[in-house]
Amino acid sequence: MTQAILMTFAPQLIIAFGIVLSLLLIAWQRSQRMIALFTQAVLIFALLLSVKLLSVEPTEVTVLLKVDSISVYTFILVCISALVVTQLSYKFLKSQIEVHDEYYVLLLLVVLGSGVLVASDHFASLFLGFELLSISFVGLVGYIRESRHSVETGFKYLILSATASSVMLLGIAFIYSQTGDLGFTAENNVASAHDTMFYSVGMLLFISGIAFKLSLVPFHFWTPDVYQGAPTPVTLLMATVSKVAMFTVLMKCCFSQNYFASENLVQLVTLIAILSMIVGNSLALKQNNLKRLLAYSSVAHMGYLLIVLLITQQESIAFAWQSAQFYLSAYILASLSIFTVITLCEADCRDGNSEKELTIDSWSGLFWTNRLLALLVILAVLSFAGIPLTMGFIGKFYILSHATQAHLWYLIAALIIGSGIALSYYLRIIFTLFKQDEKASRIVNYSAGEQILVGLFIGAGVLFGLFPDVVGLFIV
Amino acid sequence: MMLTIIIFGLLTSGCIAWYAEGRKENSARWIALISFVIFGLFFIFSVVTSTQNYTELQLLVRVPWISLFNIEYALAIDHLSITLLILTFILAIICVLVSWQEIQEQCGFYYFNLLASISGIIGVFCAVDLFLFFFFWEVMLLPMTAIIAIWGHENRHFAAIKFFIFTQVSSLLMLVAIITTAYFHAHQTGSLSFYYQDWLKLDIPIEMATYLMLGFFIAFAVKLPSVPVHSWLPDAHTQAPTAGSVLLAGVLLKTGAYGLIRFVIMLFPEASHNFAPVAAILAVVSILYGAKMAFAQSDFKRLVAYSSISHMGFVMLALFSFNFVAYQGAVITMVAHGLSSAALFSLAGMVYNRIHSRNLNEMGGFFKSAPRMGGFALAFAAAAFGLPGLANFIGEFLSLVGAYQAFPVIVIFAALGLIGSAIYGMVLFQKSFQGPSTTNVLDLSARELVITGSLLLLLLVIGLYPNILLKYSFGAPTQQLSTLTITPNKAKDNILVTNIFNAQIAQLTGGQTL
Repeated sequence: MTQAILMTFAPQLIIAFGIVLSLLLIAWQRSQRMIALFTQAVLIFALLLSVKLLSVEPTEVTVLLKVDSISVYTFILVCISALVVTQLSYKFLKSQIEVHDEYYVLLLLVVLGSGVLVASDHFASLFLGFELLSISFVGLVGYIRESRHSVETGFKYLILSATASSVMLLGIAFIYSQTGDLGFTAENNVASAHDTMFYSVGMLLFISGIAFKLSLVPFHFWTPDVYQGAPTPVTLLMATVSKVAMFTVLMKCCFSQNYFASENLVQLVTLIAILSMIVGNSLALKQNNLKRLLAYSSVAHMGYLLIVLLITQQESIAFAWQSAQFYLSAYILASLSIFTVITLCEADCRDGNSEKELTIDSWSGLFWTNRLLALLVILAVLSFAGIPLTMGFIGKFYILSHATQAHLWYLIAALIIGSGIALSYYLRIIFTLFKQDEKASRIVNYSAGEQILVGLFIGAGVLFGLFPDVVGLFIV
Repeated sequence: MMLTIIIFGLLTSGCIAWYAEGRKENSARWIALISFVIFGLFFIFSVVTSTQNYTELQLLVRVPWISLFNIEYALAIDHLSITLLILTFILAIICVLVSWQEIQEQCGFYYFNLLASISGIIGVFCAVDLFLFFFFWEVMLLPMTAIIAIWGHENRHFAAIKFFIFTQVSSLLMLVAIITTAYFHAHQTGSLSFYYQDWLKLDIPIEMATYLMLGFFIAFAVKLPSVPVHSWLPDAHTQAPTAGSVLLAGVLLKTGAYGLIRFVIMLFPEASHNFAPVAAILAVVSILYGAKMAFAQSDFKRLVAYSSISHMGFVMLALFSFNFVAYQGAVITMVAHGLSSAALFSLAGMVYNRIHSRNLNEMGGFFKSAPRMGGFALAFAAAAFGLPGLANFIGEFLSLVGAYQAFPVIVIFAALGLIGSAIYGMVLFQKSFQGPSTTNVLDLSARELVITGSLLLLLLVIGLYPNILLKYSFGAPTQQLSTLTITPNKAKDNILVTNIFNAQIAQLTGGQTL
């Protein structure tokens, strides 16, 4: 392995090295502030290296990994999300007396897991990344031991996640039994293998495993509970890093496997997509808890995103990648924005009484008391809803373009119906912000640094929404 | 360049108004009023002084915007857009005046929304890149929803959500149609294009064109609104603050009609022609149903809202009869209805300010204490039911005359709507201003006199001398339509060509005799 090849994988290696160093740091001195800063430094370093790698030629790093511009771009998204999560976690954990330095190690492990996932070109590395991500998440979701939901959340995630990975492993075994190759691009005998039942069953199990992580219907049952029970920064991490990495690897695997040659699988994906859009949006309608609502809305969003998997010809793969990258970026920006506000509001609530969950009503009148935060929420919600002026609209535009090119009329119909349903709960959030009543939310205090973060998100949201070409420069 | 300045200027002055209100109370409304007047005059001035011939679309600006999809920022105007833009400016000023005292809370943000919404509407009327059109279509929607949801009446959230969902879902259909057409363009010519003039050159197979036309049609039919997708309108109009209702009835509904002319009929002439009988039936059902429902209402604003459905039915009927005279009638009805419904909603707002109720049963006998208001109410009710001498009469008369050549039976039924409008117009006036006097109300103030007086004056001028509009609405789309339909490979040539023939005769004679 030459140095050049090693360089392409450097961001992930930096993270791994950072993990080891942070363990040493913990042994040396336990300080929340220091470890948070160190984590951020590692992430920024990895981020900068990734940006430099953006126009890299596809390079094989051993048989297991393959770095190309798509994986680099996705890893940038992962690093940005992780950076924000670190910042919010610091705010979140600061209020406790105990020093939570292992939290940051787990966080870096999640990033490493997703880094391996986005670059994997082999079922073995896929499984490795998958497990690294899941196990670290188990530690994170139940992290606050005193919290009412922590045991329930942790166990729910542990058991279901373990089931999902074993199902996926079985699926990989089936696929291997037919193709005789664990690499994604098993070029030689895939075509003949497609017709066998074992291969189809294998793909079915494999997709189910990933669908669990993406919380697609009918594998979505854990999502609202875990979203609600986990500490908010962890929820954010789950909504962004885990989703992006999983979706990227699913797409990579499916396209390399040439899965769209098999009619059954395409129908399966279509069905999952339609179900996710309709069910996710319908279930979100009656939610009052913000995190639960966002959980169901994420189900629907992953449903929309599945549309890009449904391609009919080899030529549209490039456009599918572009659409997915753009949509994921928009989704991440909106998630980061809205969860930042949730964390800030929660931190403010917590001063009063010990544990309080944020409902939609606790944002009542936010626009009149905290204009900046409310603007960010509006922008994020509009982006989720896919209304122009925001990135979410361009994302939806990409997906619709993709769907019209592939003539997926049923999916377009489901998307329109789903968006229609979604509007009623998204608008409910926005209208609550404008409510003028006595029990209006009080002024949320947050530091200047956080103010800059909020301003940055607003600026990015408007800029990328009005001039998507800026993002287009990075996605190839 | 001119329109770009106006659109962004209005948006900027919206921000300034928002900011200024925080500094000094009551400054926002002045800023809004002044900027509407200035930009309105600027627009009229630059149109009058320009040497371009606006009978056809004149491109004002065309620069690349999103190169990923070859989307451009392109604006163009012709006589139709100019007419509607002037209407928009007039009603915008009316809107500021009617909210002068009605809006007391969060004034700064209110006027920001008003200005943003107007700038979106102006964008809609002049965008010729379909993506840009869609963009503005949504931009005008968001502040409008905010106006309903924040400053509306008791049931405002429900009304705002309903309004937004109806328009949003239907506009997603339009978005799909837009994208499909753009990719069809790519399929046929090799490059993606959202540019209107490029699309006019497309030769779309009739079957596909029908589906695309339907996508556009549904979006515009919701906005117009036409039965069976009208149900958002009574709620939205009733719950909106006065200025919101004025804006909705006066201008937003016209964007639907404008879309039908500019996009449905111009882009898919054959498909629309085949679809015309269905559209005409929908139109006549809207006319009769709107009139019937208006008659049954006891809420002042709801009554006027249903009457809007009825009046916009005439516009749709006229547009889909593919006839030159009817097209004239449609344009005049659009303007006339914009003015008369704005007037009636302003009156409703004035009554509401005095007695804090919209219920007609709680009104009565206002004429005694407020004779001037009564006189104006009678005049506007008369305008609504099409009294000769007022603008609505000209519009509806021309629509019916023109449409009769295409759909004689349907027009006979549609004409019944005129009787219906007389009934509900009289019901409205009698219940509120006649009968035993219940409460004493203040007569119109000077500000209110300006609002009602100017609207009545405009209605009278157009009613007595319609050439002032006809002069401008002559030509443009119908002429373009004729050049389009004469191309030999289009089916149904003969019917369309006869229409064009009619049109040209009308053009030669009509201008003089009318």
